[in-house]
Amino acid sequence: MASITSSYPHTVAPPSRRNFTPFWFLLPALLVTAAVVLVPVLQTFWLSLHDYLLYAPDDTRFIGLGNFRAILGDEVFWISLGHSFIWIVGVVGLQFLLGLGTALLLNQSFWWRSLARSLVIIPWALPSVIIGLMWTWMYDFNVGVINDALLRFGVIETPIAWLANPSTALYAIMFALIWQGFPFFAVTILAGLQTVPQELYEAAEIDGATPRQQLFSITLPSIADVIATALLLRTIWVANSLDVILVMTGGGPGYDTHTLPLYAFIRAYTGMEFGYGAALALILTFLLMAVVWAYVRRASRDLSR
Amino acid sequence: MERRDFLKLVGAAAVGAPLASTLAAPAIAQAPTTVRWWYHFDNPQNSPADLVAKFEKENPGIKIQAEAIPWGGGNDYQTRLFAALVAGNAPDSAMVRLSWAARLHSMKALEPLDPFLAKWNARTDIDDNIWKIVGGGSQQKYYLPLQYVVIYLYYRQDLLQQAGLKAPETFQDFQAVAKALTKGDVAGFGMRGGAGGFDNWGPFVLGGGASFDKGGMVTEKALAANRFYVDLATKDKIVPASAPTDSFRQIVDAFKAGRTGMMIHHVGSAAEIQAALGDKVSAKRVPVGPDGKGWTYFGDESNAIFAASKAKEATFRWISFLSTAENNTALTKLTGQLPVSSKANADWVPQRFVDASRASVSIAGPLPDSPKTPDFIGRIWPTNMQRALTGQISPDDMMKAIEQHFHG
Repeated sequence: MASITSSYPHTVAPPSRRNFTPFWFLLPALLVTAAVVLVPVLQTFWLSLHDYLLYAPDDTRFIGLGNFRAILGDEVFWISLGHSFIWIVGVVGLQFLLGLGTALLLNQSFWWRSLARSLVIIPWALPSVIIGLMWTWMYDFNVGVINDALLRFGVIETPIAWLANPSTALYAIMFALIWQGFPFFAVTILAGLQTVPQELYEAAEIDGATPRQQLFSITLPSIADVIATALLLRTIWVANSLDVILVMTGGGPGYDTHTLPLYAFIRAYTGMEFGYGAALALILTFLLMAVVWAYVRRASRDLSR
Repeated sequence: MERRDFLKLVGAAAVGAPLASTLAAPAIAQAPTTVRWWYHFDNPQNSPADLVAKFEKENPGIKIQAEAIPWGGGNDYQTRLFAALVAGNAPDSAMVRLSWAARLHSMKALEPLDPFLAKWNARTDIDDNIWKIVGGGSQQKYYLPLQYVVIYLYYRQDLLQQAGLKAPETFQDFQAVAKALTKGDVAGFGMRGGAGGFDNWGPFVLGGGASFDKGGMVTEKALAANRFYVDLATKDKIVPASAPTDSFRQIVDAFKAGRTGMMIHHVGSAAEIQAALGDKVSAKRVPVGPDGKGWTYFGDESNAIFAASKAKEATFRWISFLSTAENNTALTKLTGQLPVSSKANADWVPQRFVDASRASVSIAGPLPDSPKTPDFIGRIWPTNMQRALTGQISPDDMMKAIEQHFHG
């Protein structure tokens, strides 16, 4: 191939204005992206290098990496980082397992399958603030339905303060978010399952494969790409999500439900310490870069196929 | 059409269209002065439209653009206001709180109101005590009082009568009454440890001897007062287990449902509580120390004019209209708070709750006029209170954290 190309150098089109045509078409989208993504990112980076209080803009000082040094010595940052890790692994992992199970069930034939597929999407369709408020009242110590049901069935003898107890608060919120997010996995995986050729299962059955062997040798390998993409996307969303926590506990009791984005939000919007908040947000961004990089690699590989 | 011609045409259209529309627009003769005003009402379904219509009828040259801003526990409203000020897009006037005054001053965002107040006849209709609190002792006035609330004690008088008890006067009475009321699934006191709960803590700790002056949170008296308050939850166990994160909605609903015997809030919840409990509930001033000294929170709401406003005269006419007599009545009916004008009335609130509010004014005060106060309310107090209530830090460490926040 190389020899052919070198033999006919004149066949390679010389650079001309026509080659820029696609870029002109892309330009509006690039400009909009730069305005709504790149500029705020650069502004956040610039803010993170300053001691910037929203209510004292005239006293803003450039402090270089001062905010980052302060963060490394901030106890609440490390607590929030630890919670973020538990939050991401727990929420994404359990959403995936629940979503996979639901997708496998919905892929079976039963007479109300269409209705079931519609119903399962409801938690995903609800706004996060509604989810937060709904679960806050379900968990309520005095009038919550969860305590009421557990008391009636004799599971507990006294109500539990789910959101005020440091040992249960984070997990109670995680449960709410797992409930909200599993339909995403269910629907995505279900779409993947429907692309697996039926012949593979028929051949496997003839060969005497058990349902378990079919799951691990046919189903999961066939939808591995779908699962990987869904996991990466969901990890990014869950890592950034703070609305449900904000509504349900505001980060309390104490720091027990603080995650990194929530802590950045509280420092920026309660303390109006925009420099410190920007630095916290950037650290989260850098930590997520690995996941974003994996996602972009996967997406570009799919495009090049 | 060639591409070059097409681009020329698009370029010419882009430049020419706005110009053409400007030339084509009819001249507007004597446009009315527009006043942008930001407000928030607890019930977002209430609207000041009638007041705006009345004002515009009385002042034909002024148009009011009233913009409802989400409150979000105070944080949303405050952040939007400061962001708008920094961006140069602030309204002419907004409803503001005293605890933001220092931050607004540091931005030089406020317009002194003294020249306007000097010409305003209804100024003397507002009680001197309110002027003193809202003025913050400064020579110039920047806030025009609009409405207020004072934190007081709600109690179930039917339960107290059954137990042969009187409504508590002192901290020790309060503790004894709360212990007597705590039975089964009923807790004596619906403590608010979540957002906004500083107004439950203040009467016991600031009323018990703590202060925001340097060193005022770590005196022996202040530390003892805080230990007493935290012990109500951790040792006496006379509050619901959910107290560390309970906020407004939780304490009100638990009280209405008969799960708590006493709670601390203001007249803003009176109508709702009266509707649920009727005459079973009453109210009085928060308990005070054995020496008779006490403290309760004065919840202020004022209007301020921003220095960048280009319609200050018209803006003052609007905000003074809202603080005057029957207009003040109409506004507070929408907000559920108390009017500042002595010529206004609050007949929509049962009288005993108005009486409890007025009886509390003598010991009422605001939080310190410091740029650190909003962060104390939103972050420092709740996190440290909750950590103390859940045993993660001692009550004394909580007070040290507050002292550290204000004085380093």
